[in-house]
Amino acid sequence: MKVTVPHAGHLWVALHTLFERTGIEAIEPPPSTQRTVSLGVRYSPEWICFPFKVMLGNFIEAIELGADTVAMAEGPMLCRLGYFAKLYEQTLHDIGYANVRVLAFNWQDEQIVGLAKFLRSILGEEYRWRDITGFIWHGIQQIALMENLEKRVQYLRPRARDCQQVERIWATAAPRIIAAHDKKALKAVRHELEGELSAVPLDSRADPLRVHLLGEFFVVIDPFVNMDLEVELGKRGVHVTRSRWIAEWAKIWLFLELIGLGHDKKVKRAAHPYLSRDVSGEAIYTVGETVLRAQEGYDGIIHLQPFTCMPEIIAQNVLPRALQDHDIPVMYLVIDEQMGKAGYMTRVEAFVDLMRRRRTRIRKEVAIA
Amino acid sequence: MIRIGTPRALFFYQYYPLWHTLFTGLGAEVVISPPTNREIMAGGLAGMVAETCLPVKTYAGHVAWLRDAGVDWIFIPAIRSICGTDFNCSKFLGLPDLMQANVKGCPPILDIDVDASKPERTLERALQAAGLRLSKDRRRVDAALAAALSTHHRYQAMMRDGLTPMQAMVQLGFLHADEAPSTFHPPFTPPFQGGAGGGKASPLTIALVGHPYCIYDTYLNHDILKRLARLGVRVLTCEMAPAEGLMQGIQRLSGEWYWTYEGEVVGAAGHYFADPGVDGVIAVAAFGCGPDSTMLAVIQRTARLESRAYMSLIIDEHSGEAGIVTRLEAFVDMLARRKAKTR
Repeated sequence: MKVTVPHAGHLWVALHTLFERTGIEAIEPPPSTQRTVSLGVRYSPEWICFPFKVMLGNFIEAIELGADTVAMAEGPMLCRLGYFAKLYEQTLHDIGYANVRVLAFNWQDEQIVGLAKFLRSILGEEYRWRDITGFIWHGIQQIALMENLEKRVQYLRPRARDCQQVERIWATAAPRIIAAHDKKALKAVRHELEGELSAVPLDSRADPLRVHLLGEFFVVIDPFVNMDLEVELGKRGVHVTRSRWIAEWAKIWLFLELIGLGHDKKVKRAAHPYLSRDVSGEAIYTVGETVLRAQEGYDGIIHLQPFTCMPEIIAQNVLPRALQDHDIPVMYLVIDEQMGKAGYMTRVEAFVDLMRRRRTRIRKEVAIA
Repeated sequence: MIRIGTPRALFFYQYYPLWHTLFTGLGAEVVISPPTNREIMAGGLAGMVAETCLPVKTYAGHVAWLRDAGVDWIFIPAIRSICGTDFNCSKFLGLPDLMQANVKGCPPILDIDVDASKPERTLERALQAAGLRLSKDRRRVDAALAAALSTHHRYQAMMRDGLTPMQAMVQLGFLHADEAPSTFHPPFTPPFQGGAGGGKASPLTIALVGHPYCIYDTYLNHDILKRLARLGVRVLTCEMAPAEGLMQGIQRLSGEWYWTYEGEVVGAAGHYFADPGVDGVIAVAAFGCGPDSTMLAVIQRTARLESRAYMSLIIDEHSGEAGIVTRLEAFVDMLARRKAKTR
């Protein structure tokens, strides 16, 4: 059995270590490229969402390298994700990969217990439960470290004297964290990387804008899908923040949900006047976080969604009503295979200009008052 | 008397007799918006985000019409699931919030939360809760609800016997026959003429599968039903498929019932694919429909594997009448040639 798993943010950082430690043969899909997208689009239903197409492309490219089993997560809710696995298997069989199996882990059944069972079914019965939970815990720690460093990088990009220096350090993070096979090694890597990042000289005149990215999980966390939006914004003097993180997701859906504390009450309360029901996906977070960030004085919001994403269309429809009560600029970016980076960057630059002018105006008004 | 507005869109085709009987039983007046027309559609398109699917945009137009008609309440259900573990499109769950946000000056919304996976939120319990907002008298609510449910079952049985929702509603007295003339086709299911022996060739039979709000909203779909009837085609729809046929169809095509209303579409397609009396299947879907993006793929795949004649018609606010007519005619011609050949 040769397993493959789709790319999603820094997910493969943990998977590399897991498969190295267990000696399971796994195939990482080649980094997503235009070819990945073309393959995915060719075999996908026309108006299914972009994440489906990119992941299908990942699978095909991994199968070309010899993978015969696809492992993925699914969450049967009102969003289409719950139907992905079935559709992938049919599609891959129709393409001619008749022996490929698609295994899906449903995070809404049994949460962390379900993940442990799923992982054991892939790794083999010879692993003790204690080992399995150890692997999962270490993986989550690796991703959490990766993402905590990324938060630091988001902070440094607009403030560093040399933006490239930050990127150079950041590029070394993944291989070093992958090489950390145990708790001690991970701790050492954390100290090193944190030290290197805090040694980056800062520009004291930097006055970064604060922008929050929100929207559909996959397009927010995956730099290929959102065309390196965070880097591009960072270069233009924007401190980007976001609330979609794999480690955070794991905390909520794998652990807290088990004892019924999964949802962020504060966000739900903030969203309630505009969206009173959890329509699944991230819609309620999109609305709630927009309200909260406006109250916190953020300069802007960038809302990312794949074309035809059902929950985010609802969010986008109700947001104007929330924005009547809360003053914050919002830019909507709808992502699909037709996107060109140039057009997209023009819009992002215009939005950055808009936020700058707005901030200057607000500061003047405050000064006059 | 309280006037409750019900939009003639989305769930109307499945549940109007149920809602109407319940609300009138509790002493309210039920106001219904007219069949979709250009003004209603324009009203709906004005406020909504462009990516929203056409049926939801149209729904907003109907809500705006009811607002202008001065109703006291607008009844907008939020349906999460109808039977057990299935799921509905999230847009249907967000419908009350969507309308509140996009229809300016929207009257108060009488909403119900239907979620069959929770015992306190089944369709009956949800309707009971809505009824209690109209009348404090529990016995009266229960009586009205019982009457409404029995009407609903009769309505469903009539559709299984081969009536379209419009025909059934006219027969039950919920609509006037002349109210929606273009949706009412008495010669809708013509008896077979001739037969195997000779004489006139038997008419073609086409199964038209899709959501009721795509199939029966004659403005959105450019009156497909009537056009097919004019071409001499006998038409079957999802509602006319027997329940066990639907279940078998779903099992064959997708294995499980995942989406509440798409299940009916897939099941009906599966049922009609297996029926040798059906010459071809046409699926009608709205552009950008989330669930249909997966379900049409499943139907199309089966059509290919079983070599059945199949066509999908995608409708949106830009779809032109001429294009649809041309495709319908071409499909019917193809089926007729095929039938003549195999004879």
